[in-house]
Amino acid sequence: MSDTHHAPQFDYQPALPIPNGKAFMWLFLSTEIMFFAGLIGTYIVLRFGAVAWPSTHDVHLAEIWGATNTFVLICSSVTVVLALEAAKKNNASGAKGWMLLTFLLGLVFLGIKMYEYNAKFSHGIYPQLPHSLIYEKPDVYYAQGVRTKLMKHKAELENKTDKTEEDTQKLGVVDDLLRQVDAAEVALRNEPDSLAGRIKIYELADRIYPRASVHEHRPDASHATHESSPFQLVAAQHESAHNGGHLVGLNDKYPWLELPIMIPGGNMWASTYFLLTGFHALHVVVGLIAFVFLLSMTLDRAAYGTIENVGLYWHFVDLVWIFLFPLLYLF
Amino acid sequence: MKHFWSFLFFLVPVLGVATFVFAPHFNIWLPRDISEQGRTIDNLFMFILYLTGAVFIVTECVLFYFLWKYDGKSNEKPVIFSHGSHALELVWTIIPAVTLLFIAIYQMQAWANDKMDPPAISYTCEVTGRQFNWDFRYPGPDNELYTQDDIVRTDGKLYLPVNEEILLKITSADVLHSFFLPNLRVKQDVVPGMAQKMWFKGKKTGGYDIVCAELCGWGHYKMKGRVYFLPRDEYDAKLAEFTAEQNTMTVEVPEEE
Amino acid sequence: MLSSLIYDYRKFAMSTVTAETHAAHGEHAHTSSFLKTYVFSLDHKIIGLQFLFSTLIWFSVGGLLAMGIRWQLAYPWRAMPLLGNMLAGPEGGQIAPENYTMLVTMHATVMIFFVIIPILAGAFGNFLIPLMIGADDMAVPVLNMLSYWFMWPAFFFIGASFFVEGGAAQAGWTSYPPLSVIQEAAPGSLEGQTLWLLGVTFVGIASMMGSINYMTTIIQMRAPGMTMFRLPMTIWAMFITAILQAFALPVLTAAGFMQLGDRLVGTGFFLPEGAMANNSPMETGGGQPLLWQHLFWFYSHPAVYIMILPAMGMVSDILSTFARKPLFGYKPMVYSISGIAGLGFIVWGHHMFVSGMNPMLGMTFMVSTMMIALPSAIKTFNWLGTLWGGKIQFTTAMLFAISFVSMFIIGGLSGIFMAATPVDIFIHDTYYIVAHFHYVLFCGTAMAVFGGIYYWFPKMFGRMMNDSWGKVHFTLTFVLMNCVFYPMHILGMQGFPRRLADPYHYETFRNLLPLNQFISWAAFLLMASQIIFVINFFWSIFFGPRAGRNPWKANGLEWQAPSPPGHGNFDFQPIIYRGPYEYGSPETDEDYYPQTQPPKQTPESAEGKAPVH
Ligand code: HEA
Ligand code: HEA
Ligand code: CUA
Ligand SMILES: [Cu+2]
Repeated sequence: MSDTHHAPQFDYQPALPIPNGKAFMWLFLSTEIMFFAGLIGTYIVLRFGAVAWPSTHDVHLAEIWGATNTFVLICSSVTVVLALEAAKKNNASGAKGWMLLTFLLGLVFLGIKMYEYNAKFSHGIYPQLPHSLIYEKPDVYYAQGVRTKLMKHKAELENKTDKTEEDTQKLGVVDDLLRQVDAAEVALRNEPDSLAGRIKIYELADRIYPRASVHEHRPDASHATHESSPFQLVAAQHESAHNGGHLVGLNDKYPWLELPIMIPGGNMWASTYFLLTGFHALHVVVGLIAFVFLLSMTLDRAAYGTIENVGLYWHFVDLVWIFLFPLLYLF
Repeated sequence: MKHFWSFLFFLVPVLGVATFVFAPHFNIWLPRDISEQGRTIDNLFMFILYLTGAVFIVTECVLFYFLWKYDGKSNEKPVIFSHGSHALELVWTIIPAVTLLFIAIYQMQAWANDKMDPPAISYTCEVTGRQFNWDFRYPGPDNELYTQDDIVRTDGKLYLPVNEEILLKITSADVLHSFFLPNLRVKQDVVPGMAQKMWFKGKKTGGYDIVCAELCGWGHYKMKGRVYFLPRDEYDAKLAEFTAEQNTMTVEVPEEE
Repeated sequence: MLSSLIYDYRKFAMSTVTAETHAAHGEHAHTSSFLKTYVFSLDHKIIGLQFLFSTLIWFSVGGLLAMGIRWQLAYPWRAMPLLGNMLAGPEGGQIAPENYTMLVTMHATVMIFFVIIPILAGAFGNFLIPLMIGADDMAVPVLNMLSYWFMWPAFFFIGASFFVEGGAAQAGWTSYPPLSVIQEAAPGSLEGQTLWLLGVTFVGIASMMGSINYMTTIIQMRAPGMTMFRLPMTIWAMFITAILQAFALPVLTAAGFMQLGDRLVGTGFFLPEGAMANNSPMETGGGQPLLWQHLFWFYSHPAVYIMILPAMGMVSDILSTFARKPLFGYKPMVYSISGIAGLGFIVWGHHMFVSGMNPMLGMTFMVSTMMIALPSAIKTFNWLGTLWGGKIQFTTAMLFAISFVSMFIIGGLSGIFMAATPVDIFIHDTYYIVAHFHYVLFCGTAMAVFGGIYYWFPKMFGRMMNDSWGKVHFTLTFVLMNCVFYPMHILGMQGFPRRLADPYHYETFRNLLPLNQFISWAAFLLMASQIIFVINFFWSIFFGPRAGRNPWKANGLEWQAPSPPGHGNFDFQPIIYRGPYEYGSPETDEDYYPQTQPPKQTPESAEGKAPVH
């Protein structure tokens, strides 16, 4: 390993007529395919193994934002190609312009993603503990969860030294709800198998969060005795709190309540949703960092190979989203 | 010593076979089999043992012979400048292929009997693994699980009638365990959230070990149980005794199945 | 440091623009210092040696952990002399039950993720690939360096996990949830399991970088004339192994992230509904414990071939060299490696025959598993064919290679028992399995690794290892390891389960104590006899007799480079004329025929072109 030794530059016989960097990138992307295949496979297995799965509507997933993001990413794939073309023509400033646009589109994507995440968080939908408010079933545990939360509010409100009128109002809401919980719990405890208790809890859940896909599971009266699924225990005569198609639950009306919500299959949904979109978003971030590096270079013909490699990566990120969008938003 | 290395490698087949020949004499062998389908498994085991044993002896002896014959110190002949032989490659692909396919197909029936076609009878008992104990729930006089007359035992002792088809429902309350009866050649992992069936027929009375064969935490090693096979009348008496014992207590019925 | 990074990056991006790289190259060489040469080195040889030393140190750690296991099985609950306090923690040398599961888990983790995988791909792969294909370095040296440096977080996490509260991971190297996820379920292991996951993930990232690099290098940077079918088997094996890594590892990484999520964020991928932990219901659910097993084995079955293919490649090279005879059936060997790799992806379910997986799947996995024995059979017979009619030189390296063949047959054949589903019902999770995988992993791969070290030591350090002491080391290792692992078959037949801290309170296993004590003493002696190797190794690095370029009179390209090779590896432009196994060729008077030696009177050689068959 001598210092002065001038290493000879060897001749090689490459098997592929592409630069090493590009070969490397293709191989790297094929490993990325396996990574996402693992994640998507998990999603499929868990979704189809699950007893219940929420509809997009239950979990505040708006197709329109997903579609917008798809469009944004496709545009960015175009602009990155345009940047490459410009670089090929040695038009460095043109390339930089397109690259900047790509970068901005990537930011838009992330912005929308953040907005969407926020919509989930604001409803207590987190990738589970410790923030998640989701309960799967209208059972004693759910009733207990609601009670615990209500008691906390109650204690806080009562301990306030200078109660405003608002606080008194809040206290009223809390007390009212507590009475409902009591009624439900009593019914459940007295007769563990009775429908009455379950329906009471279900009604409570529906008032708090009226979206839950129990509506789909809601059986007609003939199913009321069917015991295999807890959701089917809910009797048909139940009246939900719909008003004119808008579902306004207590959590929406009084955001400070932050009561546990009931979404059958909701936790598993949240786990996989945040897993898939999270790792995708992470890849977007990596892409953006690469763009920042590119923007700091002169994007002339010499940079062609680098732009091409980053572009390949970006197309891949785009492609993954094109799989994720229908999987998560449409089916 | 001349040919020391070849003889060292010759020890492999010699001692390898000797170990299996002498082990039974030291009473270390397949444990006593008291079940019906265990015979099939043992026979399959022995069949594969003889088959692979033959492959083992032949290949190791060929290895020894080549090492001995073509030792550079004593082999005066020039090396055979050969890059291989298509005919040979074919032969030693096809023969093992046929053998292996034969083994695979030959045992499919046994597998189906053991894991795919449960007998059409009601559950004899429900077995629940929990850290670090086996719990048993017998259906009681009405022969139905999850009713008021169920018998629940948590002493790790399972009583079963001898010479009768037995169907167990096995589950786990916490982590993975594996319900292993060495003397009956049955084993099944129990998975929380999953109910599984296990069936067999014990043919000899007496007590045998229940072993937990899946790592389930620090107490894995002591998650031991016993299974007792009793003649039908003794078995009935035993269950009646349990019922009587239990009538003073109430049985908790799970909320939903 | 920075300049070299930038240099490297430019080289990577514009690997076709040679003139510029050339200039940068010189500059780089001039500024090198000790730190840059030996620590932050971009040179594949140095990186290979860094991997070699790190993994050998971990090898001794894994060995010591195994001694703890053996002590407990021979003398349950008795304070362990010497190592007791180290391995068993504060209990005064007595191994507590949770410490036993920890020992087993960490023994396997260290051996598999920190020894065998990195020593094959990281140490031998790095050192040998450019040398054997005629390249001056890897395609992307800077990522190569990073692949070693990414091992350090892994070293750190795993090392640290021994010292956190509750100790290191205790859920087995397979880390099956829910045990590995619910902290209450394994009171001992709190943060240990999290650190375990992080460690394995970092090993994964390191291997990923390495394997993409290897693939690119082998595809793009072979010397003129080095066609794919003139590559030595070692390179073929490394190539296929890299492909296996690249396609299987990301799945484990994904699964690892999910398990981390389950532990830290509270997701429930692997947590079923309605399960309890320590008598209280778990807060999450809806996931599937078996999903982890599928994902884990989807990686870890290919991984067992990742752990043996490079060994098979190295053994093929060593056998041919010291039989002084061409490798028998070169192309079938290549195809069988590819066959093993391909089939390796569709047999993972054979680890789950009794897991509760659909029994129909069990049947299909049984057939595919049986079929994977075929390519292995082809390889075995071709090795025997290589020995046939040769002039065998019993060097230390050769002895290790032969023992690989002999032992792999045992390990492979015991795999047939397990592939047979009804038999696996009985022997699953017994010592029969333990015997199987130690035969392939220790008696197989580790022996090939020893062989590889004895064989390429002269190239690595420019000096020879002592052959007589090497043979003593070989004989002791060979005899003792068989004493350790062969009787385990018999233990397994008795139904003796794995991972059991104290089997003797089961009536069925009470009579196994003496045999276990025999095994344990053989294991202690086995460990002790490795001291010979350690001394020989270090002594030879400094005082061994100098080796020339080609001490074994071997054909491989690496033997035409200086020992040890300088920066850029070759002091000439390698041009390849033939495959690596032309020993005893009638075309020359010598009994070997280096790949670079021009054929006698062919017109091509006069023009300096490489002939293509
Ligand atoms: C290097 C590692 C390595 C290798 C190469 C193999 C090779 C094989 N393994 Fe092994 N295996 C492991 C490492 C390895 N294994 C490990 C670590 C585990 C346990 C993991 C754990 O649970 O912790 C395991 C577990 C394991 C199981 C699960 C057992 C259980 O848990 O119940 C099974 C089941 O089918 C299996 C089968 C096989 C087979 C069929 C082969 C075949 O590839 C072998 C093929 C070779 C031959 C057959 C010999 C040569 C051929 C001839 C001489 C020709 C003639 C032969 C015939 C006609 C039969 N292995
Ligand atoms: C490559 C893998 C590998 C290797 C080499 C070994 C080596 C050994 N193993 Fe292990 N083992 C496993 C992989 C391995 N093992 C796995 C995967 C498991 C399953 C774990 C689980 O169930 O989760 C297992 C489990 C396992 C068990 C079962 C425990 C149980 O289930 O209860 C036992 C019991 O005896 C055991 C023993 C041994 C022994 C005695 C050795 C001896 O061969 C060790 C001897 C030690 C050495 C030979 C090291 C010498 C060091 C050097 C030569 C380095 C030199 C250093 C310098 C030059 C610096 N191992
Ligand atoms: Cu229960 Cu091991
Ligand atoms: Cu396997």
